[in-house]
Amino acid sequence: MFVLDDLLFRPFVGIVDALHTVALDELYDVDALQDELKENQLLYELGERSEAEYRERKDELEAELEVARDVHERLSSGRVEVKT
Amino acid sequence: MNNRYVYGIVDGDPIEFETDAVGGADRVYTISHRRLGAVVSDIDTTDPEETDEDAKRHDEVLREIMDHDGGTAIVPMQFGMAFESDRTLKNVLRGARPAFRRAMSDIEGRVELGLKVVRDEDADVDTESVEKGVADALESIAAQSVPNDLFSDRLVMNRSYLVDRDVREAFDEAVADLEERYDDLTFRYTGPFAPYSFVDVAIGAQR
Repeated sequence: MFVLDDLLFRPFVGIVDALHTVALDELYDVDALQDELKENQLLYELGERSEAEYRERKDELEAELEVARDVHERLSSGRVEVKT
Repeated sequence: MNNRYVYGIVDGDPIEFETDAVGGADRVYTISHRRLGAVVSDIDTTDPEETDEDAKRHDEVLREIMDHDGGTAIVPMQFGMAFESDRTLKNVLRGARPAFRRAMSDIEGRVELGLKVVRDEDADVDTESVEKGVADALESIAAQSVPNDLFSDRLVMNRSYLVDRDVREAFDEAVADLEERYDDLTFRYTGPFAPYSFVDVAIGAQR
């Protein structure tokens, strides 16, 4: 039974694992956040965003970026356990 | 403040002036090996954190050096190059001498200018035709150009140009003409910057 369990179960864990990692990558997409920071700056420079809007968005994005970097660091160091 | 933070490399006479420098220092000066000089300020780390403020100071100092003494050529370093001591820095200058020389001859007498072409929010733009129009107007005046990241879907083009100081005015006029020609595009024209995009000298590994 142990063998069967192992054979049947393992592949699914593998796939769920991988899907979970992909989902985390999308949720905490460092590149996308950096792009949005640059876009925010550009729209401010073009006068399409007020200084208040620009600052508020910048603070939000920087906070998200910090979390995203932290998640990636934990993922790559194996400190985040993916539960399935 | 025993470590040295490097802005870039110059050729010839040493430079020294007071300014608002990275990490709170108030003076930049040159550490030379033969004719090559690293423009530095004192700092107390070899791994400076890139805050918005210090990133701005780094760029500002480079601009000041470029304007120094009627126009000084500098091979710019990216933010964050700091060295343990004068000795380690001189070793790097000695080791990377040929690379610095080559970079210097590419950028001497030239500045970097940036152009972002942004479409109006609802505009439907033929990217290829804009690219061609801009290239026809600017590429023959610029010495070199490189594409940059299109970080927003509002960006139609994002390019850096290396331009001789002598033809800077002609380049400005060509950009102004482009701006007139396209109604639903905004041209965000920036610079001059130190020519970051056109030098590729990595010295970090030798710290």
